[in-house]
Amino acid sequence: MSTVGGTPLFLLEFGDIVVYFTPYTTSLFILALVFTLLVIASRPERQLDIAFGTDAYLTKEISLPEMRFRRFMAIACGLASMGAVVTGDLFDFCLFTALVGICNVGIVAAVKSRHVQNAAYQYGLVALAATVLLFGGSAMVAATTGTLSLPILATGTLPAVPLAVKAFIVIGVMGEGMAPFYAAKAEMFRAPGAPYVIMCSLSSLLIFLRVIEVVVQL
Amino acid sequence: MIGQYYSWGLLVVLIAAVAGFAALAFEKDDLHRLLLIDLVEIPSLGFIALLGTDLAEALILPGLVVGIAELFALSQIYLVKEGLQDRPVRALRIEVVQRSPAPLVLSAILVVYGVILSGFTGGAIAALGLIFLLLAKDSAEDLHLLELASGMSWVLWIAAFFVFMFLPEYWYAALMGAAIGILLKVVTKMALIGTMWGEQA
Repeated sequence: MSTVGGTPLFLLEFGDIVVYFTPYTTSLFILALVFTLLVIASRPERQLDIAFGTDAYLTKEISLPEMRFRRFMAIACGLASMGAVVTGDLFDFCLFTALVGICNVGIVAAVKSRHVQNAAYQYGLVALAATVLLFGGSAMVAATTGTLSLPILATGTLPAVPLAVKAFIVIGVMGEGMAPFYAAKAEMFRAPGAPYVIMCSLSSLLIFLRVIEVVVQL
Repeated sequence: MIGQYYSWGLLVVLIAAVAGFAALAFEKDDLHRLLLIDLVEIPSLGFIALLGTDLAEALILPGLVVGIAELFALSQIYLVKEGLQDRPVRALRIEVVQRSPAPLVLSAILVVYGVILSGFTGGAIAALGLIFLLLAKDSAEDLHLLELASGMSWVLWIAAFFVFMFLPEYWYAALMGAAIGILLKVVTKMALIGTMWGEQA
């Protein structure tokens, strides 16, 4: 068996669902793992606000419950991204991606600031709307080919998946992953607490990289 | 592999999804958008249901769970964002419901129907009847009987499993025992939730 990401180094079989570690997915997995460990170990940064026209500056205090919740969400997000990058089942990939979306909303929404909450709410709406395309796409793949298993889909012996279905999946993942489209929204990242917010960007990057591998194989 | 009407079904679901998205694009009120997004979630389950296989049945559940989880998260963010957190959930304060035998009759029907169904689904329906009764009543009930029933049902369930393992020829008795056990278990657990909600009010 061979996939776009190279020959699998290691297969983990759960019955029908085969988790596979090709050089490509393994490197993504290690990236997610290392960053999750960093999130567990590190302490949140404290933002400095400088008052204009004076010498005064303020340090934003982050309360312990808020820090704990965001750290928990960041770890959950790391686990979800690890699952998303190695899973060998299309529907599992969609579920993990949706989980990454929820965790990203959680990381941002823990901040008790009205602007940040507003931005998180709008992002949540987009993420929820994107699950329609994500699940719809994977269901249509199952309808045209009869399987959801990525290794079987990669063999190329099954009927071709229409381009529109591939587009569904890619747009769905784009909706779930926050970073590239919401980085422009300053409110989203005005939230203090460096390592946790970066988890949003990293998880989005990982699921984008994985969806390329997934869609090319369909 | 797929049924002959799959394409037509797909067309209907796609129209529904497009209508939902269009409504979402026009709507400006945040709360209404939250409700509309729930509506948009339905076509996504429709896409999966159109497969019409056992696989689709198995996939609907995680799809539904993800949708509900995101909806919960969003509604919680909405509450925080609008500063509505000082309004806890209260019992059903409907005068007609509180001062009539209607809750008793309705919950009796639900409990009887649940017992007929038996198993997990029956337990959930019977429990819904009890929750409704306890929410509609004001007084706090004695919980000891519920706890006792919960414990007994657990014992019944485990005993049924032992019969399955060691006395397989009595499988029918074990099946009935397990079904009644899980029915009582679900009923009592969910009824406890109902009483706790009732007490908070």
